[in-house]
Order: sequence, then structure tokens, then C-alpha cells
Amino acid sequence: MKILLVEDNERVSQFVVKGLHEAGHTTDHTANGRDGMFLAASEPYDVIIMDRMLPGDIDGLAIIEVLRKAGKRTPILILSALSEVDDRIRGLRSGGDDYLTKPFAFGELLARLDALHRRALGINREIPLTVGDLHMDPMTRKVTRGDRPISLQPREFKLLEYLMRHADQVVTRTMLLENVWDYHFDPQTNVVDVHISKLRQKIDAEFERPLLRTVRNAGYMVTAAD
Amino acid sequence: MMRSSALSLAVGYVVLGIAALVLFAAPLYYAWQVTIQDGRSEILQADAMRLADVYRHEGGEGLKNFIDARVNMQIAGDRILLLTDASLKPLAGNLAAWPRALPAAAGNYRIMVDMGDHGIQNSLVHVTKLGDYVLLVGRDNKLFAPLERRFWYGLIAGVAVLSIAGLLIGLITRRALMARVHSIRHTVSAIIHGDLKHRLPTDRSDDELSTLASTINGMLDQIEQLVHGVRNVSNSIAHDLRTPLAELRSRLEELALIRPPPEATFAEIDGAVADVDRVIRIFDALLRLAEIDAGLRRSGFVAFDLVDLAGTAVEFYAPAAELKNIRLQLHAEASLRVSGDPILLAQALSNLIDNALKYTPENGAIDVTLRRRADGRAEIAVTDNGPGIEDSEKAKVMERFYRGDASRGTPGVGLGLSLAQAVAKLHGSALELSDRGPGLRVVLTMALSGAAPTALAESRATTSPEAPACAQASKSPG
Repeated sequence: MKILLVEDNERVSQFVVKGLHEAGHTTDHTANGRDGMFLAASEPYDVIIMDRMLPGDIDGLAIIEVLRKAGKRTPILILSALSEVDDRIRGLRSGGDDYLTKPFAFGELLARLDALHRRALGINREIPLTVGDLHMDPMTRKVTRGDRPISLQPREFKLLEYLMRHADQVVTRTMLLENVWDYHFDPQTNVVDVHISKLRQKIDAEFERPLLRTVRNAGYMVTAAD
Repeated sequence: MMRSSALSLAVGYVVLGIAALVLFAAPLYYAWQVTIQDGRSEILQADAMRLADVYRHEGGEGLKNFIDARVNMQIAGDRILLLTDASLKPLAGNLAAWPRALPAAAGNYRIMVDMGDHGIQNSLVHVTKLGDYVLLVGRDNKLFAPLERRFWYGLIAGVAVLSIAGLLIGLITRRALMARVHSIRHTVSAIIHGDLKHRLPTDRSDDELSTLASTINGMLDQIEQLVHGVRNVSNSIAHDLRTPLAELRSRLEELALIRPPPEATFAEIDGAVADVDRVIRIFDALLRLAEIDAGLRRSGFVAFDLVDLAGTAVEFYAPAAELKNIRLQLHAEASLRVSGDPILLAQALSNLIDNALKYTPENGAIDVTLRRRADGRAEIAVTDNGPGIEDSEKAKVMERFYRGDASRGTPGVGLGLSLAQAVAKLHGSALELSDRGPGLRVVLTMALSGAAPTALAESRATTSPEAPACAQASKSPG
């Protein structure tokens, strides 16, 4: 992926650029809003990471609004220290596609960037999903592994669907809470883990090769790779 | 003298009083004057008629003698008598000459007359023509002067009494008022300097100042409570953020000192990240609380179905309940439209269920009950059969960062119930904790939304280890 990072904090940007490089992405970085706007408007990026509070009292949201008005459709992830729900809503309304509050875990950022990129590529909601020998048909809501049918509760189905749509990507607990339960808060205890282990019981327990894996300090991943 | 509202009010009243007095006295004075003048004119006319009779019977000479006799005998008293010929040349009487300003035509006049020895007098005179003679009779007004003087003295005395009394009352009122204002000012400046315990003095009377004072006292109570809350929170923050930060610091410091092999280093770093996450978590919870306390989120109120929200929450916690073999059930009508902030209510309810799960022993039961109350509000009750909370602890558990002895060793930062409490407050109620011997029942209420459809009462979504509640929650939010 080609990524643009508009962020004025040196430490944060170093950390992000390095991390993205290690994950195999190319990153352009600028610390000021004007250059950021210029680059975003002229270069073809896959995803833009936009800080909200930029030097010279520029709000990243203003840049996003200008870009959207100019017809730029590049997915944008807003990075901000403003964590209130209303700030989040304002960010998304201004044309941002996702909102991540500082401080954040790098894994969370990477997972969200992948999800944004994939969403931008366009996913057909009707096409059956396949990971290894696990199949899911969103239309008929049938799930099979090998030739064995798997019966899932509606929420388990939603959980697995989200994981499979982001197959081979790390999906964080926060992403699951937001997308599967629409919970925009931290429920303190690890209830998500319990849901995952229940799901794992159903899709992995009787098979030799586990598909739903836990990624340490980050989240989960559905993958058929080794 | 400084401006004083009491004093200017008093001056205003005095001026008003004087105006009223004048308004009362002026017509009286006028009526009095008119009556007197009429009476005296009649007397003068009678005098003139008597003299005219003398003239008719005894002729001009006779009248002249009659007048002379009267003037000489001092019978005239303070009467003015003058007989002149047609050219106004004096023939008899006690006036040396015809008064200059007086016309010779018959009628009544009010003029100043020079009486020689007696000085100039303000007199009322009557002029009559008798053949070739002109007769003038008049009377000095001074007979009534004492009465008039007394009238004026009375009026002036009235005005004076009114003014002095008014100003005196004004000054007294001002002093009393200033005394109270001073005591208020004294109290307020003590408060400004940080001593929030002071309250404005109020008396039993329901007067304006007392009402104002008790209103201000109410405000001060609220401020004191808020300040107290802030102080508590900052103490708690100091304690609860310092602890993980201290752990983090020593962990990193030790790492820098010991420089253990890479594997151990990574394990320590993982630990450090977990410490930071804990700090962030506490921060988030505190910010959320501050946001709710400030009442900023009331703008986020919408109408939504509480049963959906509770269904999602119960279903969310169902697997966790299963792990402890706890029966988690939702009892609700088909639909219950309420007005509120769905994100915050979801968080509050999730905190309540989470709490119940923590304290309910294995094989226990938790019930989430939604109902429409008789007072027209919707109610969520979360009931467990755990150990419950002692009465003495009930208020404390809602304090920020408070963790009961029973909670030592369980995860959480001690903000769950205070957040639920703040959310309850935002929705116009307070969290009610009650015993259900054994167990705890926590109730949170909110307003029903305007257009609440009548729903069939039914118990739905039974969660048990065998049949989780998920079946009911197919219409999940996107």
C-alpha cells in the first residue's frame, strides 16, 4: 500500500513510518497541513492517515473537507487525541472513514488501515467467502468446514463474517466491538475473547488445522496460511 | 455619599408625599380664598348700600358728614372709606387720595392701598357711583392673615415632617440593608478566598433578601459538592494512575539496569505495554465520566428501543455467564421506546451486567428486567444473587475508584458503577441499589420516548447455558 501520513509529532510519525515500512508499505510523511493537502490532492495514495491538530492551528478535518469537496475518494483514517464520542462523530461526518484515538497500539492502526484499503477496493457482499476449507455464504447464511455444516448463532455468524472478510489480517478487539456489536466503549473484561473461544469451538475444535488464531498483543486473525 | 437604592427610594417617596400634600392643599386653599372673598364682597356691598341709603335720604352733604363722623369716631376701624366728586377729588373719608391704579368704574377690586399712618395694606375695595359722587368702601385683608399664615405654616410643617421622617426611614432602611449586604459580601469574599463552608445568613422571614440568600446557598451547596467531587477525583487519579505508572517506571528502570536476555526483555516490555494500557483505560473512563458530568452529551439523546439494546448486552455477556454457569436472563416487553443516549446506556448496562457477573458465584442467576413504570418512565433492573452490598458500602461503591474488599483481585479500575451512576444522572434519575437478600438489585430509569407503542408483555430471550439469548438478537446494529 502507498500511504500518506500527515502528523506533526516526530516520535509518533517515526514510529508509524518505521512500522508501516516493516509491514511492507511505502509511506510519505509530512508534518504540516499545507503539504499534506498538496500531496493528498496530487499523489495517488491507497490510504491517508490524518492527524487532527496540526501546526498553525490547522484542523485535519478542514483538510479532509477540502479534499472531499475536490472529489478525492481516498480512504482517510483520522488520528486524534480528542476521544469524545462527539469528536469521533464530527470526524466521520467531515469525510473521514475511520477514527483512531491517541495513544494507540500500532497493531490497531495497521489492522484498521488494511480494513480501509480492502473496503476501498470494493467487496461484493453476496460473494461466498472462503478461507482454507471454511466456506461461508452470506446469502443463504450457510457455513461449512470441509463437508461438515456448522451451525452458528446470528451474532457468531456476524463475528465470523467480519473475520473472514478480513482474512489474513489482524483484527483487533476494538474493531470487533465496533463492527460486530456496535459498542464504542471498552467493556473492561475480556468478553470478546470468550466469544472468540466459543466460535473457535465450533469451527476449529474438531479439525486438525486451526483457522482462527490469536495474535499476541494485537487481536485475532482468520487465515489458512501457516 | 455613595449611591444608595434605599435612600433614593426614600427621597422618591418624600417627593411623592409632598406632591400629594400640595395636591390636597391647593384646591382647599383655592376654595377657602374664594369663599372668603365672596363673603367679604357681600359685606362691602352691604356697607355700600347702607351708605347709598344715607345719600338717598340726606344727599351728598349728608353722606359726607356721615362719613366724616364715622372716620373721626374711629368707627370705621380698619375699614376704608372715601367719597370723591366726579373728578375723583376726595371729599371725605380716611384716604388722602384716590388710589392710582384703581379705575373709577363700579365693581370689586383687589388692590394695595396707601393708608398713610397704617401703611400699605392689601385690601378688597368696592366702588359705587352715587349721582355725581364716587364712593369707595374697602376692607383690609389682614383680618384673615393669621389664619392664612397658620395654613401656610401647617403646610410647611407637614412638608418638613414628611421630608425628615422620609429621609430618616430611608437612612434606617439603608443601614439595615447595608448591614445585610455587608454580611453577604463578607461571606462571599470568604468563599472567594476558598472557604466553601460559609453560607449566607437567612432568617425565617420570606423577604426578598432571604429568598435570594437561600437560592445562593443552594448554588453554593451544589458548587461545594462539585468541588468536593473534583477534589476526590483528583485524589483518586493521583492514586490510581500513579500506581500503574510507578509499576511501569520501575519495570523500565529495572530493565535498563539489569539488561536481561532478549526473551526476558520482551516479556517485560509486554508487561510495560499492559501497564500503559491500564493507564489509558483509566483515562478513557475518566474522560467519559467528565463528559457525562458536564452534561455535554444530552444533545445525543434520541428515541430508540431499549429492548434491542438490552438484548444485545445480554447476548454479549451470555458466553461469559456460561463460563461461570450463571443463568443470565432478559425479561422484557416486545418493545420499549425510550429517549436517551444509546451509547452511554449500553455502556452503563454493560457495566452493571459486568459487575453482576464478577460478584455472582458459580451457578448463580442474573436477571435483566425492563418494564414501563407507573410513573411513565422506563426501568432497567439488573438483579443478581451474589453477596450484595452492605448498607454502609452502598454510597461508597458509586464513588470513583472505590473498590470493595470483595473486588480485590478482580480486574477493573473501579469506575463501572460511578459511570452507570453518571449515566443515570444524565437521564434524570439516580442509580438505586437495593438488597434482594441475598443479592443486589440495581435500578436505572429513563424517560419513555413520546410515541411509545403499546407492547404485549412477555418474557423473552431466556439465556441459560443450554440456550443462549442470541436467537432474539438477529437485528443487530451495523
